[in-house]
Amino acid sequence: MARTQLEIFIGLLLVSIAVVVVIYVGFNEENRMAEWTLAQEAGAIEVGADLFEINCSGCHGVKGEGIPGLAPPLSDQFFFTQRLQEVGWEGTLEDYIIATVSTGRSVSTRPDQYVGGGKPAMPAWSQRFGGPLRDDQVHDLAAFVLNWEATALGKAEISELPAPTPGAEEAADPVARGQQVYVRGGCAGCHAIQGISAGVVGPNLTQIGQVAATRQDGVSAEDYIRESVVNPGAYVVEGYQPNIMPQNYGEQFSNQELDDLVAFLLAQE
Amino acid sequence: MIKNLSLQDLRSRALELLDQRVRIITAGMGLKELRAVMRGDPPTEKPNPRYRVHITSFIFHIRPRYYQQASTWFTHTFRLGYFTTLFFIIEIITGLILMIYYVPSPSEAYQSILRLEGNVAFGSMLRDLHRLGAEAMVAFAALHMLRTYLTGSYKKERSFTWLTGVLLLLITLFLSFSGYLLPWDQLAYWAVTIGTSMAESAPLFGNEVNLLLRGAPDIGAGGLLRFYLLHVVLVPLLGIVVLSIHYYKVSREHNISLPARIEEGDLPKDVKKEATQRIDFIPDLLTHEVFLACLTIFAMVVMVAFFYNAPLEHHADPQKTPLDTKAPWYFLWIQGMLKLGDPTLMGVILPTVIFALLFAVPYIDRNPYRMMSKRPVAVTLGLLFVAAVLVLSYMGTPGYGIETPAAIRIVQDLAPEEGVGALREISFEQLEPGIYEVGKTDTTALPPELGLVFIEFERRVNEAEEAGKLPGVQAVMIIEDWQAGLKKVTPRIIWSDPESGDQKTFEKHIFLHRDRGLGGE
Repeated sequence: MARTQLEIFIGLLLVSIAVVVVIYVGFNEENRMAEWTLAQEAGAIEVGADLFEINCSGCHGVKGEGIPGLAPPLSDQFFFTQRLQEVGWEGTLEDYIIATVSTGRSVSTRPDQYVGGGKPAMPAWSQRFGGPLRDDQVHDLAAFVLNWEATALGKAEISELPAPTPGAEEAADPVARGQQVYVRGGCAGCHAIQGISAGVVGPNLTQIGQVAATRQDGVSAEDYIRESVVNPGAYVVEGYQPNIMPQNYGEQFSNQELDDLVAFLLAQE
Repeated sequence: MIKNLSLQDLRSRALELLDQRVRIITAGMGLKELRAVMRGDPPTEKPNPRYRVHITSFIFHIRPRYYQQASTWFTHTFRLGYFTTLFFIIEIITGLILMIYYVPSPSEAYQSILRLEGNVAFGSMLRDLHRLGAEAMVAFAALHMLRTYLTGSYKKERSFTWLTGVLLLLITLFLSFSGYLLPWDQLAYWAVTIGTSMAESAPLFGNEVNLLLRGAPDIGAGGLLRFYLLHVVLVPLLGIVVLSIHYYKVSREHNISLPARIEEGDLPKDVKKEATQRIDFIPDLLTHEVFLACLTIFAMVVMVAFFYNAPLEHHADPQKTPLDTKAPWYFLWIQGMLKLGDPTLMGVILPTVIFALLFAVPYIDRNPYRMMSKRPVAVTLGLLFVAAVLVLSYMGTPGYGIETPAAIRIVQDLAPEEGVGALREISFEQLEPGIYEVGKTDTTALPPELGLVFIEFERRVNEAEEAGKLPGVQAVMIIEDWQAGLKKVTPRIIWSDPESGDQKTFEKHIFLHRDRGLGGE
């Protein structure tokens, strides 16, 4: 019979301890929730960084520095301080980024700066408008872009690695170097090569190494490609608009870079 | 008039009124009797007022008035069935509260979990309780079955009770599994994709079952809603009905079995008499049950407050198959079987046969004896079955029997797609930007935490090279400042393919934010 009383006693004790633990947890809840939210936002930035690299860096640059003639910078002071006034956006910058990424933009707000009069300016990225990204991914992308604010406004500085692009000078193979030119130069933003990029604005280049030789009588594959890069209007593939591709790649690339790029494209068969 | 009312009268009148109230509440037990109960005295009135409660009150009506002493021995039952039921009740309560915050749609589900964790006081605790309770319920249901098997308590008149018990095990497994999908993270999505794809490989009607479950060829909005409704309505209802039958069989019809040695053993008469003595439900067993409930609540609260965190991975992404997909632990044995052969045979036919055999155990085993020594075949088979399930579960773990290319494995172990991993444990400040090459970088010059991880990276790369998996390997780890508070780590492994001799490269870009380590998973 003593067992009944012992059980009542221990039971009460255990429940009291449980209540104390719950109260203890309760006092920590504010902190825990704040920390959790902060960690969650940090996680969103990490995911956004990955998405940016895969989807956006082709046109907006690896670090959001923009590519002249193709897409504007997203990591400069102008973007964080004046862009909203320029387009007359009433909401927050985050909403602006989410809206723009989601729906894309059919006409550039600065047509004079971009080839082809900035048409089309940017494809829609949200799945709701035919793009590849879910809403949570668009949100994560926005979190990543917003995270450039500190460096854009000069509140924080980040170090640069001594070598401009790590691994670039290690590649002895012109094709491998050419691939880096292809990505860095922004080609990947508009052209598709299976496994490397998925742009839809310009012709698919997955088999350009084969196709180039058959395009024009008397023009070798190499010449055809080189001419198309330097002077995009020379041969326009049927079904694609002229004057969309930047005309200034001849000046932008060094001769070495151009050679590498051509070598890389010739290797796509 | 006031003079006539002496203090004593007033007191006895008050006591009488109080006694009346108490009798209403306790359905028949007066104050005196209640006090006797608390003291552990024998009943004060006749007929035993502690039995009266069982006639008038619904809750006590479905409980037996007394048990036989030996059937309540702890080492006989370990209270496993009681605990399972208790977890079921905890699941219902926490589940109802969770339903307030949860939205069953692919675009909202994951967000609603994030809101629950980050915006609701005790939200995380609630989710942990629900998750822990679910896992405990599966574990205890399985142990309960094992206990019943070993003590031979499924025999003769208890055959049908066993059958409802196996049904309850199935219901418990499906409850747990259907809840698995709801957070809509990578873990949930792919575990359930694997689970339902087994249904797809069922012969004849597999495709139809799959469509019914998923609502579409792949799990999407339809599938999530279906699993949600199964999880919160249909399966719990089924569970309550079958549990009621199971419980009624045990408590009202056949009682908890006596230990086999009391029933069949060669024991002196007085020992047997003592063992079969009545123990009243009130107060002894009731107190004990409430005590066990207190113990469970205490254990669970302490677990979720300090030790247990319900996992939450990245948002479900149908386009991105994780490297290591993992079934919940209670289905690892099926995953293990799937690695052994054809999915139709291993994933559908064999599990069906196994459960059919489980259902039929009392009808196959015609041996009338219950003592383990008198049923060596049954006990051996049972233990072999347990061993087989354990081995299969081990084989079901992601690492077993699946060869991941060495370079991918090394990087995955360093910084897994989900969870933490060595690289993410380095404090942010110690991630010194630079290019570090295996075999060339002086590890002693690195910040200590980074140094340790880099040494491990180096060791794994060298090990793989010696094993001939990465001939002529060159491996670097590049750390860059990417944004304020964000760094990018690129492990890159270059090797020449052993077969073709081509140069191959594997690299992964890992972004690390300063605030990542503060909370969450």
